[in-house]
Amino acid sequence: MAETMGHSATATRNTSVVIGFCLLAIAPQIFEFIWSIGTIFGWGAGRGPATVLISHVTALVAGAPAALIGAAGGDTKKMSSDVLLALIYSYPIFAVAILTLFMTIRSAQDYVGGIILMALALFALWASSDLQGMRGFSFGAGTAPRMFGGLLVALSAGIALTGLMTDGPGMSHYSWRGPLFVMVAILFFALAIRPLGLVVSAFVSFMIAATGSHETRWVEAAIVGACLTVGCAILFPYVLGLPMPMFPRFLVQ
Amino acid sequence: MELFANLAHGFAVAFSPINLLMCLIGALVGTLVGVLPGIGTIATVAMLLPITFGLPPVGALIMLAGIYYGAQYGGSTTSILVNIPGEATSVVTAIDGHAMAKQGRAGPALAIAAIGSFFAGCVATVLIAVLGAPLTKLALAFGPAEYFSLMVLGLIFAVVLAKGSVLKAIAMIVFGLLLSMVGSDIETGASRMAFNIPELADGLGFATVAMGVFGFAEIIRNLDAGAEMNRDLVQQKITGLMPTRKDLKDSTPAILRGTVLGSILGILPGGGAVIASFAAYTLEKKLAKDPKRFGRGAIEGVAAPESANNAAAQTSFIPLLTLGIPPNAVMALMVGAMTIHGIVPGPQVMQKQPDLVWGMIASMWIGNLMLIIINLPLVGIWVRLLRVPYRLMFPSIVIFCAIGIYSVNNAPVDVILAGVFGLVGYWLIKHDFEPAPLLLGMVLGPLMEENLRRALLISRGDWSVFLTRPLSAVLLAISFGLLLLTVLPALRAKRDEVFTESEN
Repeated sequence: MAETMGHSATATRNTSVVIGFCLLAIAPQIFEFIWSIGTIFGWGAGRGPATVLISHVTALVAGAPAALIGAAGGDTKKMSSDVLLALIYSYPIFAVAILTLFMTIRSAQDYVGGIILMALALFALWASSDLQGMRGFSFGAGTAPRMFGGLLVALSAGIALTGLMTDGPGMSHYSWRGPLFVMVAILFFALAIRPLGLVVSAFVSFMIAATGSHETRWVEAAIVGACLTVGCAILFPYVLGLPMPMFPRFLVQ
Repeated sequence: MELFANLAHGFAVAFSPINLLMCLIGALVGTLVGVLPGIGTIATVAMLLPITFGLPPVGALIMLAGIYYGAQYGGSTTSILVNIPGEATSVVTAIDGHAMAKQGRAGPALAIAAIGSFFAGCVATVLIAVLGAPLTKLALAFGPAEYFSLMVLGLIFAVVLAKGSVLKAIAMIVFGLLLSMVGSDIETGASRMAFNIPELADGLGFATVAMGVFGFAEIIRNLDAGAEMNRDLVQQKITGLMPTRKDLKDSTPAILRGTVLGSILGILPGGGAVIASFAAYTLEKKLAKDPKRFGRGAIEGVAAPESANNAAAQTSFIPLLTLGIPPNAVMALMVGAMTIHGIVPGPQVMQKQPDLVWGMIASMWIGNLMLIIINLPLVGIWVRLLRVPYRLMFPSIVIFCAIGIYSVNNAPVDVILAGVFGLVGYWLIKHDFEPAPLLLGMVLGPLMEENLRRALLISRGDWSVFLTRPLSAVLLAISFGLLLLTVLPALRAKRDEVFTESEN
């Protein structure tokens, strides 16, 4: 009884891991697509969302297999960066995801950690694929990144294998509240420091970060936040002589 | 006798009012950081890097050094009184130190910890002064091949001494090496893995990465556990700081052994204060006539690790000052501090910047003297600080870190990057990857790549150069032997045993 229950638990667990890996495999493409939506409103340069979508889909579905067959046939024409991304990054991760379906994961902590690290390494391999390699006996710009990228792929595969071979801890629990609010506070600070100045951004970020804990008492936090803001406003620009905007731009002008 | 002339010169530098002040600030901040759990030395040094901009280089380094060894003193206070290590280096001190505090002997425990630290600090200071010059001469015989092999040895040491899986530690180092490649290539100027983001063209600043992985990630992790950590503070007033004669007699050999062990482990690349304290505790337990006393308030269990961590914290400056190679993450940040001031760490620093090197060495002794005063009579103040709740501390640290990173380059993107690395660090913690080797790899990356390329260029692409040059071959052989030893099952078990000490 207990055994069957345990088995079904790992089975459902595996599916969610597989879905996660599949998403991971196309994460850079999704990221570029979301990023490209901004170009509609004129933020930043780059390709529009339609171009991004079409180019990645064709690369994933048709371009990469065609290039693979071409390469096998001795055809060495230059591949586009999207096709390379699909070849170097997405396909291996998809392959891993499919393999995961048939595996029993004995330590999810190691297995998932190893695979994500492998994804990072593959991504680095893709990112350095446009760099020059060895020129005769001297290193090109891309030699070292590729060397270490390849090494990391091998090492992370080893870690993932340990996760399959030996028993170990499962996935640990991630909480969302702390990371979320601390990250929002950091992001707010980064975006607000230039236009709004140190005083406003430091205080607001303090309050956002404080939201990250459910034990925060608001009055107390506001007092400490105000004191800290005043302290920083004196310490950084005056005592340490680091120039930074103090007050919102629209108030100063 | 050159040594005494150098030391005299150093003391002259260190006794200037501004440097004395810097030393005091460093010692105070270090103690503060050490006492407060949840803020590490690495994060603090990273946080204070931008602050040292406006200071003269000697003063800046004196202050940063003070933070590092000051934290070793402060960490013991929290360990003994609250049973939460204030600092990773005083994890083992908590075992016997807190047991002593529960028996009402908190005073002697604190005193022995401070005395041991002071003694170890003095010995380490002399050691740096004595070993500095000869090692510098040795460093001058190093070519690119030797440098590369030495760095390999350093990284292997970091792996051997890291906690947990060897494979994961190596992977973290390689990940760090990869991160260090982001930005412009040193030789060709090609932009590598920068995705046309102008802020990445200069590479990832390691203060940014350090603050993310050690500062933000640590905060997020602590929030997981609930902001209010369980602090069973020893409430009764600390009376009678003086240890008894028996305490002194028991702890003297432990202090001596801890100092020797700590000094050695500090010099070795990849070592540092954390491993030194663990090793010293294990050694004492092995040597003791009655090992059962350990964990129940044995004074040796406080004396040895505290001496060892302080000795190691100071001797880890030796490879940095003589070879220009940071042996651990804090020293890596010191490299950053030196580069901010336009000083390239390495053998030439000793000759070109005698003020800096000898001033810093002398300041360590002065700093240790200050610390013993800061920590013993004033212990009550630090204990009161422990009552500041974490729910107020963590937003303050977040804001302080954010302002600090922003002020390095006046770049908001750096703040966002640090945030991203905070998430990366959180993920690393969740998957039991150690972030310290990552930072070391990141710092050594550019140096390693440069020397590798240079060595191969000189040998015209012949990889055997690393084995045909004797010094390089020896270094590589040692690294290989170490790695082999670590993977061997018998030693593995021993290594795990050393580290599991902390969990009980």
